[in-house]
Amino acid sequence: MIAANAILPRDKGAAPLDLVIGVMAFLAALALGASLIADRTALGWRAGLSDRLTVQIVPPTHKMGLDEEVDVALGVLRATPGIAHAAPLTQDQTLNLVQPWIGKDALVADLPLPRLIDATITPGAEVDLAALSRTLKQVAPDSLLDDHARWIARLKGLADAITWSAYGILLLIAIATAAAVSFATRAGLQAHHEMVELLHQMGAQSGFIARAFERHYFVSALVAASVGAVLAAAFYLGAGALEFAGVEAVPFLPPLALKFSEVPWLLAVPAVSGIIALATARLSVLAALRKIY
Amino acid sequence: MVRFENVGMRYGAGPEVLRDVTFVLEAGSFTFLTGLSGAGKTTLLKLINMTEPPSRGLVTLFGQDLSITKRADFPALRRRIGVVFQDFRLLSHLSAFDNVALPLRLAGRKENEYVQDVEELLSWVGLGDRMQARPATLSGGEQQRIAIARAVVARPDLLIADEPTGNVDPEIGQRLMRLFAELNRLGTTVLIATHDRALIEGMRAREMRLVDGRLVELRTGRAA
Repeated sequence: MIAANAILPRDKGAAPLDLVIGVMAFLAALALGASLIADRTALGWRAGLSDRLTVQIVPPTHKMGLDEEVDVALGVLRATPGIAHAAPLTQDQTLNLVQPWIGKDALVADLPLPRLIDATITPGAEVDLAALSRTLKQVAPDSLLDDHARWIARLKGLADAITWSAYGILLLIAIATAAAVSFATRAGLQAHHEMVELLHQMGAQSGFIARAFERHYFVSALVAASVGAVLAAAFYLGAGALEFAGVEAVPFLPPLALKFSEVPWLLAVPAVSGIIALATARLSVLAALRKIY
Repeated sequence: MVRFENVGMRYGAGPEVLRDVTFVLEAGSFTFLTGLSGAGKTTLLKLINMTEPPSRGLVTLFGQDLSITKRADFPALRRRIGVVFQDFRLLSHLSAFDNVALPLRLAGRKENEYVQDVEELLSWVGLGDRMQARPATLSGGEQQRIAIARAVVARPDLLIADEPTGNVDPEIGQRLMRLFAELNRLGTTVLIATHDRALIEGMRAREMRLVDGRLVELRTGRAA
């Protein structure tokens, strides 16, 4: 017996079309995942630095010794309301910081490295950084307060650029996917022109014919795009597994891994693909039927 | 049922294939439309079936002037017409049963309401054992019988057929004509375009002949 969706035959050329939609969906899901990672990373960068302060004390040019200036500065920091924690970095910790750039030779140990104090601001607390900087200068003249504002601004700019680039790529791929689905729908309609005409002549309502095409292309696009999105999810989960195993994909860049809670976002790709296919099919069929007497 | 007044028809900028055609098909009538190939028979059927609009003149169908009828009302009018196309136009991916059931589906009938009707009709046209066959596996004559069954299954008010017995043997042809006559007896208006003189002579029905796009009334009569 005739099924509700059997009015339209399965296209003989549907496999290449499904492949195109699947590939486009895979790329769209990758772009969506990248934008999620970029967004999360940018947020992390900003959060990680915005509540941190570093006091740098260069080797003294004044009468006070380096250790004395560190102690005084520590005292000021610990006495400042809103500073949750302040601790000097040990010599080894400081050497570790510069090691990637100047190595680990014995000579390095003789360099007049500055002393660093790492301080953390209580979340939500507001600290008058200008006043703190002035106070530190008064008690420890060789101190320099760094609130990372310059870094934060640069990182924010970088993160925003990555995020918007990912959104831009996502938009371009979405447009390309919509165009591919739209083109395929029109081609399908052309291939079934005689059938559409026959149904029209037999008194089928335009909505009935449009629904047959809608359903056909919605299901095709949904299935093909789901396969693409699942492959993209597998890619990100695989990247996560590699990260877990200690493999760093690209040094200095965040790992290409999605959190489990972010993976469901990729389902938006097949859903949107299906909706685009459905809308395009409906509009194309109705436009074609309007041209028939 | 059908009224043509001074109807002319041309395709694009080509010559007129129908000229000043005027006739009336009364409700319940049985009419043959004859004429040589290219005389305009198929075009005239297309105008009745609302496949093409006339270039000039007035076409009235079921009492409605088509030139002022809203397009949204066309599907309902078309569903009152059963059409047997010369080239059958069966849907190749559907079985014989589903092809015949299509008009009933388009009319919104539920499957359990029409299964018996469709099976009986297919048996009547000699295809009771081929209900699930696809058109590609059937002969030309069998496809034609499916096309006829599809045209009559919804008991249309008007049946138009373009060479409906062209691909079947004389015995099946006579059987199909009896089906048309039975439908006509039940109230369907029938218009058949054909070359088959034996068929025409076998029915004492009205005959209209198209000659170079003009209509000539040859014979009036009633269904046998």
